[in-house]
Amino acid sequence: MISTLASLFLKLSAFSLVAFGGINALLPALYDLSVNQEHWINTQTFADYFAIAQAAPGPNLMTVTLIGWNVGGILGAAIATFAIAWPSSIMIFFLQRTILNMRDKKKQQVIQYAAGALAVGLVLAAAWGIAVQINHSTAAHLLTIGTIAITFFTRWHPLYLIVIGGVLGVLGFI
Amino acid sequence: MSGFGGVLPWARRTIVEQEKWLTSEEFSAMLGICQIVPGPNIVNLAVCVGSRFAGVSGALAAVLGLTLGPVALVILLGILYEHYSYMPIVQGMLRGISAVGVGLIASTGFKMMRSELNYPPMLAVILFTVLAASYFQLGLGWVVLLASPLAFFLARKKANR
Repeated sequence: MISTLASLFLKLSAFSLVAFGGINALLPALYDLSVNQEHWINTQTFADYFAIAQAAPGPNLMTVTLIGWNVGGILGAAIATFAIAWPSSIMIFFLQRTILNMRDKKKQQVIQYAAGALAVGLVLAAAWGIAVQINHSTAAHLLTIGTIAITFFTRWHPLYLIVIGGVLGVLGFI
Repeated sequence: MSGFGGVLPWARRTIVEQEKWLTSEEFSAMLGICQIVPGPNIVNLAVCVGSRFAGVSGALAAVLGLTLGPVALVILLGILYEHYSYMPIVQGMLRGISAVGVGLIASTGFKMMRSELNYPPMLAVILFTVLAASYFQLGLGWVVLLASPLAFFLARKKANR
């Protein structure tokens, strides 16, 4: 148990520093770790935790919290949530003043442009990777594509889309 | 706790419009950095805003205030899930929600990509990252390491236009 919690803590801490683009960008790596490598949960549970975290209010790092909870109860949830946040929090604590107060505006722009492009790439790759893992039917893929289209052409609140997805699922379409 | 579908819009309303802790420009600049540096965006933002007003203790208070409620709630949902996940209705509902959730992530990515379109060469970095991660299945650390030189090279050119 102790060694599992230690491994949870160490691996998530390492992820924290490479997750350009936030938790969304991290999801495929999280899937690979918890399902393929450590066998903490199976694909179905991962997909369901992802859904619960999307539907629940609060930051999207809740997928991580749920995996931690599955591994080690309340303590596991606390460790996982802490692990994913502390390295990046310490880094941004020191970085923000440096970047925001940089005299050389060009340097500041270079950093923002470079990190921004990395973040976009990782988030898009993550969406693709996760879609492949958790959408098991054509209907599910169509719902994903439909969601993208609706967010492009309307300003609907994401919560409506989540409700629509849930209702379609309950009715057995997905 | 009221952050359905992400906490950001709500954070902007509270911090900028209601409490006037930051101007809209300050908030956008901060958010711009917090969204692209590694780590959970909203935790990063809490650290930035909290530390701006009360240093380390402010950052800690902001992060705890933001996460404690949702963590408790999501654990409760996890317990409910253990009991009811055998039901086809629950399974169907979660399948629907997760399909929408993936779509929402993809649209976040596409929205972020809009600002890259004013300098098309930067799309090479995005393409490289997506291929390295999806097609070649490289780990996250490797993808970042391999894509960074190209990203910085193009970012320098973009800034020097």
